[in-house]
Amino acid sequence: MKQILTLTLIALLLASCGSEERDLPWKSIEADLQKRFITTPDSAVIELPAGYFMFTKSILLDGKKHITIKGAGAEETVLSFANQTEGAEGLKISNCENITLQDFTIEDAPGDNIKITDTRNLTIQYVKSHWTGEPKETNGAYAYYPVLCKNVLIQNSIAAGASDAGIYVGQSDSVIIRNNKVYHNVAGIESENSKWVEIYGNEAFQNTGGILVFDLPGLTQFGHTTRVYKNVVEKNNFKNFAPEGNIVATVPPGTGIMLLATRNIEIFENVVTDNKTAGLAIASYDLVSALGSGEGTQLDNNIETAKNDERYDPYPTQMYVHHNQFDNSHWFPTLKNDFGLLFLTKFPFNTPDIVWDGISPDRTQLGFCLSENGEINFADLDAANEFEALTTEWTAFDCEGTRIDQKITL
Amino acid sequence: MKYGILGWLIFVFACSPKEQAPKQIEVVTLGGDTEIQEKQRLSEWNLFVGELKTFTAAAGMLPYDLNTPLFSDYTFKARFVKLPEGKAANYHATEVMEFPESTILVKNFYYPVDFQKPEGDRRILETRLLINEGEEWKALTYVWNEEQTEAFLEIAGKSIPVSWTDGSGELQRINYSVPNQNQCKSCHEFNGKIVPIGPTARQLNHDFDYADGGHNQLKKWVELGLLENIDPPQQWPTLAKWDDPQTGTLDQRARAWLEINCAHCHRKEGPAKNTGLHLLASTSTDYEIGINKPPVAAGRGSAGLKFGIVPGKPENSILMHRIKSLDPGEMMPEVGRKLQHIEGIALVEEWIREMDN
Repeated sequence: MKQILTLTLIALLLASCGSEERDLPWKSIEADLQKRFITTPDSAVIELPAGYFMFTKSILLDGKKHITIKGAGAEETVLSFANQTEGAEGLKISNCENITLQDFTIEDAPGDNIKITDTRNLTIQYVKSHWTGEPKETNGAYAYYPVLCKNVLIQNSIAAGASDAGIYVGQSDSVIIRNNKVYHNVAGIESENSKWVEIYGNEAFQNTGGILVFDLPGLTQFGHTTRVYKNVVEKNNFKNFAPEGNIVATVPPGTGIMLLATRNIEIFENVVTDNKTAGLAIASYDLVSALGSGEGTQLDNNIETAKNDERYDPYPTQMYVHHNQFDNSHWFPTLKNDFGLLFLTKFPFNTPDIVWDGISPDRTQLGFCLSENGEINFADLDAANEFEALTTEWTAFDCEGTRIDQKITL
Repeated sequence: MKYGILGWLIFVFACSPKEQAPKQIEVVTLGGDTEIQEKQRLSEWNLFVGELKTFTAAAGMLPYDLNTPLFSDYTFKARFVKLPEGKAANYHATEVMEFPESTILVKNFYYPVDFQKPEGDRRILETRLLINEGEEWKALTYVWNEEQTEAFLEIAGKSIPVSWTDGSGELQRINYSVPNQNQCKSCHEFNGKIVPIGPTARQLNHDFDYADGGHNQLKKWVELGLLENIDPPQQWPTLAKWDDPQTGTLDQRARAWLEINCAHCHRKEGPAKNTGLHLLASTSTDYEIGINKPPVAAGRGSAGLKFGIVPGKPENSILMHRIKSLDPGEMMPEVGRKLQHIEGIALVEEWIREMDN
C-alpha cells in the first residue's frame, strides 16, 4: 500500500513539475566567487569560466574601483538564479566606480537579475539577461537595473522576459543605451527620472511597450533631456504581465514609445511599426494615477497624488518628434485594453500613430512639436473631460521644436 | 520507509523552484587566494573572559540592549560595546552616537534550545563585530563551531540548519543564514558607508539589568564616562518598545517596529532612498511613509496592489504583503530573515486597520 502511495506521489510530482527542465551540467562557484568579490583588490579582472553555474543567494560587489567581471561569452558562461532563496537580486553592485560587465548570461532571478546602485562609470556589454520559458508575472522585475548611477553605458546586450522592464535606468545621470535587443518584457527599455539619456540603435520588439521615458513624483531627482533615435520599435503587442500597482502595469499592450510627464525629449529617425495601440503615446501623470487608482476616470481625485511633490510637474513639456517613420499594418486596434476599445470607436480603420492624453493645465501651451513624420494618424484624447473634445487634428502641433545638441560624455 | 525517502528525494530534485532543478551541483573553485588579513578566531579579540560561550565581558566591555530590536528570525542577541580606554562617544539626539575610533560593537546571535527557558541551554550561531576604523566601520562575522568553544571568521556567509522549541512548545527549524561581508552593508549603509544602526539615544533610553541592578543605559554610559556632551535627561528621546503597550501608543509602537526593521534602508541616506519611501519613526509626511503612495520599482513585490499603505485596509497595502512574504523577489527586508515575524506583522496590520481612511 505504502509502495503504491509513494509511486502515485512520485507520478503526481513529476507530472506537476512542468517540462522546462534543462539537462545541463550545473555547477556552483557561489561561495568562491562571493569571496573573490569581497577580497578583490581594485583594478582587477574577475573572469567567470565557461559553464553553467547555479546560485542560491545574491552575489554582491560593493565599494570597489576599476573592476571588470568577464565571462567566456554570453553563450558560454551562464549564471542561473533559478534556485535562489535569499536576496532580492542576482548580481548586485553598489557604491562602486568604473565597473564593466561583459560576456555572460544571467537568468531567472526571483527579483532583478542585475541591480547597480550608487555607482559611477558603469559599462555593460555583450551580456544576456533574461528569464527562461514563457514570459510570466512571476518573472523578476528588471533584467538590468542601474539606479542612482552616473555615466552608464549599456550596449550590444539582450534583455528578455522581465515582468517590469528589460533595461531600466532610474534616477541616473548621463546614460547611453545603444544597440541592444529587448523583447518579451513588459517595458523593453525604460528610462525613469533620469537626465542626459541617449537611447539609440536598439531593437525593441514584442514587448508590451517598446521604449518608455517616464518621470515620477516623490523621488531623489527628476528626469529631463533625453534623445530616442534610430531605434526599431516593432510589434510591441505582448500582453501586459506586470503585477498590478507597478507603473508599467498601466502601459497598454501595443504601445511603441511612451513619454510620461517628462521634459526636453527629442524623438527622431525611429522606425515604429505595427504596434497595435499607438506608435507613440504622450501622457501626463494624471492619466497614470487615474488608471492606477482603479477608480475609472476620476482624474481630478488622482491629480492630487502628483501634487504631493511640489517640485514635480506631471505634464509632458518640450518634446520634439520629427523624422520618424510610423507604419501600422493592423486595421484595428487591439481590443484588449481600454485605449484600443476607445480607438476602435473613435478612429476605426486608422489606429493612431501618435496619441496625446490631452491633459494639461493650459491647453493653449503646446507641450510638443510634431514635424516630418510622414502621413500620421493623430489623436488628442481630451481625457480630462471624458473625451469630449477628442480630435484627430494635429496642425496645431506642426512646429519646429528644439533639437538637443548636447553630447553626453561618459 | 525506503520508498518514503525515495519519494522525498524525487520531490526535492524534481520540484525545486522555477522548474529547473539541476540533478546535482558540483562545487568548483576558481583558484587563487581569497583570504583576508584579519583575526581568524573570535577568541583572538579578547572580548570575553573565561569560557567564550558564557559571554562574560572582559574589562571595558559593557552590555546593552535596544528598546525595539531588529527581527532576525527570532534569534536572541547579546550586545556589547567596547570603547577605547579613556575615550567617550559624542551624544547625538537623533542619530547613532558618534563613537571614537577603535570602538567595537559586538552582537552575539543565539537561540535558546527551549524558548520557555530562555536562560537555559542555547545554540550560539554567530558573533558580528563592527569596528570603527575612523574613515569607516568594518564588519566581521564569526561563525560558532558545534562544540560552542570557538567562532571562526567567515566572509562569504554560511547556512546553518538549526532548531529550537518555541514559546508555545512547537519545534521550529530553519536554515539560518549568516550574512556574507557585503550583505552587512545591505542594512548598515548610510550615505554609502557602513555605520552602526542600533545605539541611538532613543533606542538606549530605558533601564537595563546590569550586574549591579537596573539602571537607565544613557545614565550609566555617562557615569562610566562613555558618553559626553549629552543633553539634559528631560530632552532624551525614547523609541517605544514595539511589544510593550506601556511604552507607547499603537502608532508609536508600529512606527518603532518599522523604523528598526525598515528605516536602515528606507531613509534619505539609506540604500532604498530611490523608492521615496521613508520609514524612520520621525518621518511625518503621510506620502513618505507610503500612505496612498504608488510603488516606484517594486516589481512583483507590489503583489498586484496599488499603494504602499491603504488606510484601514492592510489587505490592500503593499507594505503588509512585503513584510509577510518569504519569496526572495518580494520580501522585506531583503535579507536577514527566513521567517515571518508573526507578532510584528500583527502589530503593523492593526496599525493600518485603525488608520483613518
